[in-house]
Amino acid sequence: MKTMQQGWLSNWLVKHEVVHRSLIFDHRGIETLQIKAGDWDSIAIILYVYGYNYIRSQCAYDVAPGGSLASVYHLTRIQYGIDNPEEVCIKVFSQKDNPRIPSVFWIWRSADFQERESYDMVGISYDNHPRLKRILMPGSWIGWPLRKDYITPNFYEIQDAH
Amino acid sequence: MSLPLTRKDLMIVNMGPQHPSMHGVLRLIVTLDGEDVIDCEPILGYLNRGMEKIAENRTIIQYLPYVTRWDYLATMFTEAITVNAPEFLENIQIPQRASYIRVIMLELSRIASHLLWLGPFMADLGAQTPFFYIFRERELIYVLFEAATGMRMMHNYFRIGGVAADLPYGWIDKCLDFCDYFLRGVVEYQQLITQNPIFLERVEGVGFISGEEAVNWGLSGPMLRASGLQWDLRKVDPYESYNQFDWKVQWQKEGDSLARYLVRIGEMRESIKIIQQAVEKIPGGPYENLEVQRFKKEKNSEWNDFEYKFLGKKPSPNFELSRQELYVRVEAPKGELGIYLVGDDSLFPWRWKIRPPG
Repeated sequence: MKTMQQGWLSNWLVKHEVVHRSLIFDHRGIETLQIKAGDWDSIAIILYVYGYNYIRSQCAYDVAPGGSLASVYHLTRIQYGIDNPEEVCIKVFSQKDNPRIPSVFWIWRSADFQERESYDMVGISYDNHPRLKRILMPGSWIGWPLRKDYITPNFYEIQDAH
Repeated sequence: MSLPLTRKDLMIVNMGPQHPSMHGVLRLIVTLDGEDVIDCEPILGYLNRGMEKIAENRTIIQYLPYVTRWDYLATMFTEAITVNAPEFLENIQIPQRASYIRVIMLELSRIASHLLWLGPFMADLGAQTPFFYIFRERELIYVLFEAATGMRMMHNYFRIGGVAADLPYGWIDKCLDFCDYFLRGVVEYQQLITQNPIFLERVEGVGFISGEEAVNWGLSGPMLRASGLQWDLRKVDPYESYNQFDWKVQWQKEGDSLARYLVRIGEMRESIKIIQQAVEKIPGGPYENLEVQRFKKEKNSEWNDFEYKFLGKKPSPNFELSRQELYVRVEAPKGELGIYLVGDDSLFPWRWKIRPPG
């Protein structure tokens, strides 16, 4: 039964007394959880051992202009020949002035470029990432382009429009 | 004058951003020991156009011409996912005919992309003639696209709720002619390439990726399928009426370059099969769901409230995204193309994250 299965991760975490907040499911019914940055290391390993072996995508965004930053991970379990794979979406929030989140590169290798892109665009620095450099912008760029309060330098038409 | 041979130092070579033969802009800093590559560091970002930031300031209709520029070899997939994301968000049904037209266009685009993979792949191995053959086939696909959408490559064809215009009269017959011609073309490639001993020697056993490593590194698409995993998003979460056609997932067990080559050639054949079935079964009916072009009905507040929407003139129809988030994906020819869309209660998305394939 689908309604009983969704929410199982939240129940499991409550049973093991991990402080987390279960956000509402997103529009397709995928369970979304919010995890603290301090717990993210251990929970990532737990999820990997459970079987979520594929990071589908990792993105970062800022929740409100001037607010906190969120790093979102979509995890799936890829197996031989299944229909309707299990998926889960984890959000890790961090504050804006010194955003640091543990990296999951050593668990899922595909987080390499994706975390570099989150670092480049939004500014979340990931601890234990082997080469956290800017990936899309030139290496000497200042500023985090995808934040809502970013002002594009030398782009006077947009600045006038604001 | 003889220079002392220093074989102990490793040489660092920069293969600069521009490459001949259509590899795109990719800068590789390669550390060489003689002729063996020891370390390779790719430097990306030369083609970063700020698509995600632009998306935060455009409505979906305004953004559609941008999306074909993400992956200019397989353009219909980018449009399909840009349009699928709001459709899933607001639960919009599209008419059957539109779904079938979309499937035909997507499979033609997949063939075009695999053809353009084949050309530079053979050119890298040293065989330069298939590079011209693929452009001959791709030209036929361009002609089909131009007849239906008006542009050869950067078609602005998909809309929320269907497609922009119906197929012109006689397009289906031309499409079937193309399918017959292309099946014979694939046989020609098989004879030319697959049984060729030079090709096999260079490609068999090269570049082995095991299944577990492939999943851990986040590969998808033909690279994952060539390593033994039958993971095809068209079968795993069926979208766009793919479950009404009879086709098989192409996969191989070995995980080397030859397996990836065979998977892609097999996928081209399966795409032709799907197109032929879709073209036979295409239903009549509307091709666009025009109901979606209305504003979301909201109660207008009192005339002296702060939030009163004063409609000075009739606004153009726009599509408002509700405050939800969602991750949609399609099976692009290079892998899994996904969009993570965080909606705001406004015309513009709050965050539009593109998960690139491959």
